[in-house]
Amino acid sequence: MRNPFKHLMHTATALSAASVFTLIIAVAYLIISRGNHAITWEFLTAESSEAGASGGIRWQILGTLILIVTSAIVAIPFATALALLHSFFLKPRSLSRRTLGFTLQLFNAVPSIIFGILGLIIFTRLLDWGKSWLAGGILLGIMIIPTIAIMLAHRIAALPRAQIESATGLGLRRGQIIRSVIMPQSVAALLSGTLLGLARAAGETAPILFVATIFSGATMPAGIKDQPVLALPYHIFVLAQDSFQDSARANLWGSALVLVAIVTLLSALAIPLRHKLHNAADHA
Amino acid sequence: MSTTATWQSRRPPDLTTCLVWSGALAFALAMLIALGLWIAQASPAISEYGQTLVTGQQWFYRHQLFGAAGMIYGSIVVSLLAFLLATPLAFGTAIYLSEYLPAPARPWAKTAVEFLAAIPSVVYGLLGVILLRNWMADFLSPFDPLSGDMLATAAVLLAVMILPTVTTFAEDSLRTVPAAQRLAARALALNKSQTIRRIVLPQAWPGMVGAALLGIGRALGETIAVFLVIGRLDNQFPDHLFNPSLLIEPGQTLTSKRGGPETHIPMGAPLHWGAILSLGLILLIVSALFVITGILLRRLQKTRS
Repeated sequence: MRNPFKHLMHTATALSAASVFTLIIAVAYLIISRGNHAITWEFLTAESSEAGASGGIRWQILGTLILIVTSAIVAIPFATALALLHSFFLKPRSLSRRTLGFTLQLFNAVPSIIFGILGLIIFTRLLDWGKSWLAGGILLGIMIIPTIAIMLAHRIAALPRAQIESATGLGLRRGQIIRSVIMPQSVAALLSGTLLGLARAAGETAPILFVATIFSGATMPAGIKDQPVLALPYHIFVLAQDSFQDSARANLWGSALVLVAIVTLLSALAIPLRHKLHNAADHA
Repeated sequence: MSTTATWQSRRPPDLTTCLVWSGALAFALAMLIALGLWIAQASPAISEYGQTLVTGQQWFYRHQLFGAAGMIYGSIVVSLLAFLLATPLAFGTAIYLSEYLPAPARPWAKTAVEFLAAIPSVVYGLLGVILLRNWMADFLSPFDPLSGDMLATAAVLLAVMILPTVTTFAEDSLRTVPAAQRLAARALALNKSQTIRRIVLPQAWPGMVGAALLGIGRALGETIAVFLVIGRLDNQFPDHLFNPSLLIEPGQTLTSKRGGPETHIPMGAPLHWGAILSLGLILLIVSALFVITGILLRRLQKTRS
């Protein structure tokens, strides 16, 4: 035994990895095993009743979908503009480009409760709105802008310079280069960034807690002001605090499983796109 | 682009250019206005109470007492404990994934770790409320806690939540060390463990520390899961800083406070509302310190290798 570290490093790291993967399997098992009893077609499509103890989660699912679709509509234009500014308009390695990249990363780490309070400041105090799906969608949209922008900016920065130089040489203007050279090759990155952003938006409770969601009684919103929605994360948040009935428990775990399934599906859809991007970057 | 900018700038800017700049500037302006409104509405409390907002140990809004020291203590203790629990495991896992695991298996392993990161915090909160709370109460029963709602439970839950973040970022840092250096080290007859300790880790270290700091930043800002398991008891501040007895008692953090009803009550009371917003400013500043250092360390390491 000349070197005691020789196997120690391997063993110690293998043990940590094994415990982390045990944890992953345990968490997945807990969520699935407790939730799958509740999942029926009726649970997914019926309205909830008796404060969540019976019935289903139809409007909660629909509310979550309304919120994330709105957030995508809000986020995509701004994220695209920021990504193009970062990777096409600002010069590589320039101070302005690095500052913008740094700011986007910093913005990505802003705690989500901050957006919830921001919603109170803007929509409740300044604009005097009641609870509104649009307020929630806008807040979630602002929250995911850096996620989308960073992914798209990476992709644009990785495009071969020669293509852009040839396009310029052919006399294309910046707008034409963006439309016919950059964006067609970057749509996959925009899409996968959006999917990852939506996966995060779908599961967040803190930004929508104060300004967008109520626990029961909302269906399809018919206007903007004073039109709240139900949402899965908020449903779970409320039930987790005060449900002690067994049937409510079952529905609670069922809602959690549905939420995890939505989030996992959105992230999983982004994976093949990301692999495709990696391959494209390797072959370029 | 730099070669073409000169002749392009002689033409008037086209529509797309205008759209890109106005989109980016509108977003920046909106965020600055939001921050300005935030500070303006917090200012009544800041000018009235000054530094006692940070150092005051008592928060009783009915008596107009707004001291956040208990929440700052809660936030820092819970996040540091989560960091201590999660980082060794995360670093070990990152080293295993990057250095020992066969390359074809790596994307699968990373996807599994990312699954843990994708689970919404309210679901972690649910696991905490229904399972972890009881487990922690049993596990710590020799110390006789009142219930499972305590700082230690929040710390364990946060440790699980930041584990995937720290692991993937640390693994990224390890992968930026060029493969050629590992081959060269092996060619010089260093064994795998020596290669990792003497060649890979010294170069990846700043990025890995950065990863851990980003993890702390995330832990500081986490609201919903902490809210559900921490007990939300105000004014818990230890008689001396290293007294661990409060760990098994309920407490409050900067975030769990604002997840609660007190965020709704003070809409018409400028001082109380200002104090609530000041908590947000304190949180932004503290977490930004960790996040900025973390990002800078990761960038430093990337430019080096």
